[in-house]
Amino acid sequence: MTTYLVRRLIYTVPILFGVAIIIFSLFNLVGGDPTYQMLGKHATPAQIAELRHELGLDRTKLQQFGDYLGQMVTFDFGRSYSTKQKISEMIWSGIPPSLSLAIPAFIVETLLALIIAMLVAYFRGSLFDRIVVVGCVMGMSVSALAYILFGQYVFAYLFGFFPISGYDPDPILRFKYVALPALIWVTVSLGINVRVFRTFMLDEVGQDYVRTARAKGLSESSTLFKHILKNAMIPVITYVVIQIPFLITGSFLLESFFGIPGLGSITIDAIHNSDFPVIKAMTTIETLLFIFGNLLTDALYSVVDPRVRLK
Amino acid sequence: MEKILEVKNLRTRFRAEGGIATAVDGVSFDVYKGRTLGIVGESGCGKSVTSLSIMRLIPDPPGEISGGEIIYKGRDLLKLSIPEMRAIRGNEISMIFQEPMTSLNPVFTIGDQIREAILLHQKTSRAAAKAKTIEMLKLVGIPVPEKRFDEYPHQLSGGMRQRVMIAMALSCNPQVLIADEPTTALDVTIQAQILELMKKIRETLGMAMILITHDLGIIAETADEVLVMYAGKVVEKGPVKEIFANPLHPYTRGLLNSLPSLEKKKRLETIAGIVPSLLDLPKGCRFQARCPYAFEICRGEEPALREVGPAHWIACYKDLPRFEGKK
Amino acid sequence: MNGEEQEILLKEEASFAPKSLWLDAWRRMRRDRLAVASLVVIALYTLLALAAKLGFIATPWDAEVGTAYAAPSLASLKTIFGTDIFGRSVLHKVIHGTRIAMSVGLVTSLIAIPIGVTLGALAGYFGGLVDEAIVWFYTTLSSIPSIMLLVAFTYVLGKGIFSVYIALGVTGWIGLARLIRGEFIKHKHREYVIAAESIGAGHVKRIFRHILPNVSHIVIINFSLQFQTAIKSEVILSYLGLGVQGQPSWGVMIDDSKLELARGVWWQLSAATLAMFFVVLAFNIFGDALRDALDPKLKKG
Repeated sequence: MTTYLVRRLIYTVPILFGVAIIIFSLFNLVGGDPTYQMLGKHATPAQIAELRHELGLDRTKLQQFGDYLGQMVTFDFGRSYSTKQKISEMIWSGIPPSLSLAIPAFIVETLLALIIAMLVAYFRGSLFDRIVVVGCVMGMSVSALAYILFGQYVFAYLFGFFPISGYDPDPILRFKYVALPALIWVTVSLGINVRVFRTFMLDEVGQDYVRTARAKGLSESSTLFKHILKNAMIPVITYVVIQIPFLITGSFLLESFFGIPGLGSITIDAIHNSDFPVIKAMTTIETLLFIFGNLLTDALYSVVDPRVRLK
Repeated sequence: MEKILEVKNLRTRFRAEGGIATAVDGVSFDVYKGRTLGIVGESGCGKSVTSLSIMRLIPDPPGEISGGEIIYKGRDLLKLSIPEMRAIRGNEISMIFQEPMTSLNPVFTIGDQIREAILLHQKTSRAAAKAKTIEMLKLVGIPVPEKRFDEYPHQLSGGMRQRVMIAMALSCNPQVLIADEPTTALDVTIQAQILELMKKIRETLGMAMILITHDLGIIAETADEVLVMYAGKVVEKGPVKEIFANPLHPYTRGLLNSLPSLEKKKRLETIAGIVPSLLDLPKGCRFQARCPYAFEICRGEEPALREVGPAHWIACYKDLPRFEGKK
Repeated sequence: MNGEEQEILLKEEASFAPKSLWLDAWRRMRRDRLAVASLVVIALYTLLALAAKLGFIATPWDAEVGTAYAAPSLASLKTIFGTDIFGRSVLHKVIHGTRIAMSVGLVTSLIAIPIGVTLGALAGYFGGLVDEAIVWFYTTLSSIPSIMLLVAFTYVLGKGIFSVYIALGVTGWIGLARLIRGEFIKHKHREYVIAAESIGAGHVKRIFRHILPNVSHIVIINFSLQFQTAIKSEVILSYLGLGVQGQPSWGVMIDDSKLELARGVWWQLSAATLAMFFVVLAFNIFGDALRDALDPKLKKG
């Protein structure tokens, strides 16, 4: 098991290097000079030179790559161009609001989807199963933007159940603001999650060990909730854990629509303002989180699956 | 001999793409305490479906037991409620499957899986159930059972896993043990060991056994009575000695002739042709297309089982005098 | 839907597909009324897109056809979905949005599928260093969240529909490459491939003439997923201001309409959402039906 984890860890080194090359190439090599986009058409040569120096663009490409690798390690991404804030500080201040929305939404979404998927697996082939599947496909076909816009309009604007937008850093009051976006989050992701979890369950239903469990005299529910569930939990955990690191970066669309000052909002603002240092920093952080999530999944995988654990 | 299980006119069908396939079509047989019934036939002849029907483990949909009776201790299993049937499965009638590699749950220890059956059917403490599990593992010849108790299926070889399956099936002292191709997936040397084990256990515990196989060699070694199935029907049945000494149905003869033999050093014979599709059965005898003796009458009414000798039954017109005369 | 989810949903099929499978699959599909209906919807959208492209209908889309924010009325076809802030026909905008959505779906698939098939086939077939390099490349690329990669790409290439094609095309092939690689690994040692080798078929012939036809059902199923993922991504990109410029895509329409709801103007948002809903739904149902029809595992049951 330890060798397995060490091997996975070593395997991330070339991936990290590859990621650094791709992001660096996109932003520093192919992307051309960002200063024109950042300063607009009427910039003076002096302004441009100053900005280039500030961003380290006057150094050689190799030095720039070295700078970037340094940023990846130290998480010091310099300053935002539009707000002049230190990017690392922006990120730290953005994490709590993002998590306040993401954690409750994610927990509710995952549990709800899992419960529905188990019910559907129990009643597989029935009318209930078919209705749920059709509902999922229909839910998946609606644009996330439509859920957000209509949700905000109907529940916040028309009925006034929730504030239209905004955020309060108070530990309790913040939930008044994240409630509606969290509900929309659950709605948007429920369809796909139920379908994926259902597939995981039904993949197990046809296995030989299920027949053995029935031949033993176990009831349909013990077979499902003990034998099948424990096996299906392996892909479920993989699927769920890999998403956990992304909770930190929150949801771009929901945060920006509901004025929650999390990392999602910061990224969207940066995109709108062509704030290159912030976009690059966010891209890097998201990527590192993804790789970290993969490692975490591998580690957990080895705990849940005896076939991996005992290798 | 005490009759323990009586299958009467069993029919099991499946909804398939092109219609309804009757995989088991009017099969009847008796199972006696302390004896082994061998069911033999090519793949797709309905022998596995018969065994799953007795356990009522036919996946529904697409399958369904559409007729017949399965009398066990005076009760028709097909009329039992689901909880009543569950109390029988794994307890009074238990089953071993063909695929030892996949029939055990990969995420539970083997001890857990055997103990689960004991706890389910017997009022006993966990500790007592564990002791019983270890005793069963010892009985099926698993070395160091105390240690194996906590191991997972993937840590065991195929033969060991099949021993675990047998231990699980026997853990509640069943009256009937159904073994569906228990050795097909194993190496030849392991096959012999497992068969030897099953014979020994049947003699020790004295239950009845239904052994399903496509291998007549295994039947010759283990069975007392034989049931030969073809395309969902019983074509010949009788005591094992009688069937081997005096096979009457052309299909049984074909099967026997395709067995290699050291003494007779002759070319192996094969049965020409293939099993007909259950969705497209010919009128009359189902074996007619492959039968060297087939004649007009075989294309008429389907032959019924007739007793032609002591406890020896066949479904064939071949031995009828007028048939012989026309040949 | 991201690549991860796509793959999980796609995983259900991956298996051997003999030739007669296609005919068989077609027969199954024809009997499936929902699948036929979704195919009709897709065909209808394609026709609309073509007609708009060729200038037969909804031209010009930016002509004033009424007052600003006129509510939907049955008085004329042009105003059946109402008008926008400049008095332009929402129906015409939706039709041109269809043109853009369908072109994004088609062009990105045309970019992504050859890349995915080629790299997946090479990795799976040759194995060894080639495999390591290709797997490293797509693992790296898929480590960067696709939305950020899309953002980066549109910056590199400038904003506009061309960037959307390229960005979605070069990020969309990874899932397909993974599946194709897996299939090639399974197939390369099969008897029919060895037989082909023994009669002198070279690598190229073995890959494209022998193995590829046997795994092509995966490409078809992937196509229907790719198409709708591209449509959805275009909407998000355009909404972020990184997509189509100066043309009425569904994403642009939704972006325009975000402040309209508070004034009670619901029709532009509804029209764009519904237009997208039906085509994505049709692709979803069609993709599922394809998978069921081509899935040999289900056939046995």
